[in-house]
Amino acid sequence: MQYKNEIKNDEIIVFADTSLYSKDSIFKCLYWYGDKYHTNVSFADNNTYRVSVKPLSTNQLSQEEQQYLLLKLERDLVDYNLRDIVTKETQNVRDLLIAKAFSNGEFDELPPGDVSDPLGFNINQLKND
Amino acid sequence: MINEKADKRSRKFREIDQFDLNEQPQYYLLPFRFHRITDDKEIIVNEVGDYLLLSNGTFERIVKRQLDKKKDADLYGDLIANFFISEEPIPPLIDVLATRYRTKKLFLNYFTGLHIFVISLRCEHTCHYCQVSRVTQNKDLYDMSIANIDKGIDIMFKSPNPHVTMEFQGGESLLAFDNIKYAVEKAERIAKEVGKGLTKVICSNLALINEEILEYCKEHEILISTSLDGPQYVHDNNRHKPHASSYELAIKGIELSRKVLGHDRVSALMTTTKLSLDYPVEIVDEYFRLGFQGIFLRNISPYGFALRTDKSKYETEKFLTFYKKALDRILEYNFSGHYFTEDLAKIFLTKILTPFNVGFVDLQSPAGLINGVIVFNYDGGVYATDESRMLAEQKDYTFKLGTLDDNYNDLFFGKKAQEIANVWANEALSGCSECAFQQYCGADPVHNHATQGDMYGYRPNSDFCQKNMEIIRYLIELMESDSRIKKIFERWAKTSTH
Repeated sequence: MQYKNEIKNDEIIVFADTSLYSKDSIFKCLYWYGDKYHTNVSFADNNTYRVSVKPLSTNQLSQEEQQYLLLKLERDLVDYNLRDIVTKETQNVRDLLIAKAFSNGEFDELPPGDVSDPLGFNINQLKND
Repeated sequence: MINEKADKRSRKFREIDQFDLNEQPQYYLLPFRFHRITDDKEIIVNEVGDYLLLSNGTFERIVKRQLDKKKDADLYGDLIANFFISEEPIPPLIDVLATRYRTKKLFLNYFTGLHIFVISLRCEHTCHYCQVSRVTQNKDLYDMSIANIDKGIDIMFKSPNPHVTMEFQGGESLLAFDNIKYAVEKAERIAKEVGKGLTKVICSNLALINEEILEYCKEHEILISTSLDGPQYVHDNNRHKPHASSYELAIKGIELSRKVLGHDRVSALMTTTKLSLDYPVEIVDEYFRLGFQGIFLRNISPYGFALRTDKSKYETEKFLTFYKKALDRILEYNFSGHYFTEDLAKIFLTKILTPFNVGFVDLQSPAGLINGVIVFNYDGGVYATDESRMLAEQKDYTFKLGTLDDNYNDLFFGKKAQEIANVWANEALSGCSECAFQQYCGADPVHNHATQGDMYGYRPNSDFCQKNMEIIRYLIELMESDSRIKKIFERWAKTSTH
């Protein structure tokens, strides 16, 4: 079913496909709205998240501000989903990097490939001379 | 005519295609973070603080593997060279990156360096925002006892750090100068015996300074750190001294100290108050006029009396406006050929532009408390930071690690230290973990506790977060929009690493 992002009764509602957006990214995104808005995440159906924010009673918005907020929420959801992809894809390299950083050189390896010189000197030969 | 082929063969580098081993690349992402910096620019920052400023939409293209190695050759090369992507699952030079990461966290190698001795709580000033109680009488009750000084020195020399700093604070520390002399001489003896470096600093408003004290400081190589909030009308309003001008005494003290100790042995710190916010240019001009090489534009700390005084309440937005105006003025001095820095910017710029970090307590991860600084209070209490003991003056003992009677392990690695350690790395805090400026910023559990009621903190309305994010963003925007500013900033960063 197709859902349309909308503003209804002061509530900004955005829909996100569960196969495209991770749950983590949605919560990380909404975290930044919590000081000024009520936030809510639910399922519109099995394949769609319904994400909504509603201003706290102390923070009433004009129509123009609501339109801006809708745009901002849409954009932030994309940004946080992209961030989440990087975080998850790179978790292992990050762990490895930090483990190596604090291993005091215990697991250092020589870079792969032969050491050579573009001018044609044989470095191994020079070392032996 | 020169034979082109022969000429190229004589060059020291092979042709570019010699280095390109993957014609049809499948690239892998490396850890990095992203932030929108202006309406049309975004920034990505890798795990060691190197950044690339990109046009909007580039981050999405990188993540979605939409880069074309040939069409986007420059960007692709930059991303590979700066460890944002790799053509192999694990980059061949990961050990180089790991070494750089280790360099960024080098401050962890040495453990606690700065040991603050609150030598007396007594003070002859009555500043409205003062972070500690003002007590002018009872010496016995409000001065650190000799027994506690001994215990503090003993603990200080148990630090694994090969170079320790003992800093005397107050109240007004010079009210207990005899105790300072005792502490300095004892610490010097032990430092010599155990072969550790020792730096000594007296923090004072300089109202009580005289030649005799300064001659002693000269003989024992003691540095002087004082407070100067700006021109007289700002300083005297902030720092009230009954029947005298605090400003005049400070200026006289700075001049005398420079005369006896040397120009660079005296530093000054300013505190921003609500009043200061109206005088950014005048405050900068005052520091420049007095021959300082820079100024540290600090906002008022939310501790002690400051938290309870309406007079000192102001919003972070206002501070940021003040900061930017003051920074503009500082840049004007630099444009006209002077070397004059803003020290908060200098800390950030060192992290942004150099492979190094700065051991600044509020902007480290793990945080500088305990790892970099410890406070021995006048009454024998041991606190995680200077701000922690100010909270204690309001009966909030959250960051009290113990007393000088406790042993080293219990103080530095005990239950309280472990509790704080749970929240002292911004890599593991909500809101910070995905932040592009994570490597440039830090964690401050004491500030979170004081302003938000819990050590973990809540970033969306944290003034610490708001202030640091905007200053870092602004510094990057400035240097990317004006090459002259970039040169100035590079010079500031370079000088702080020497």
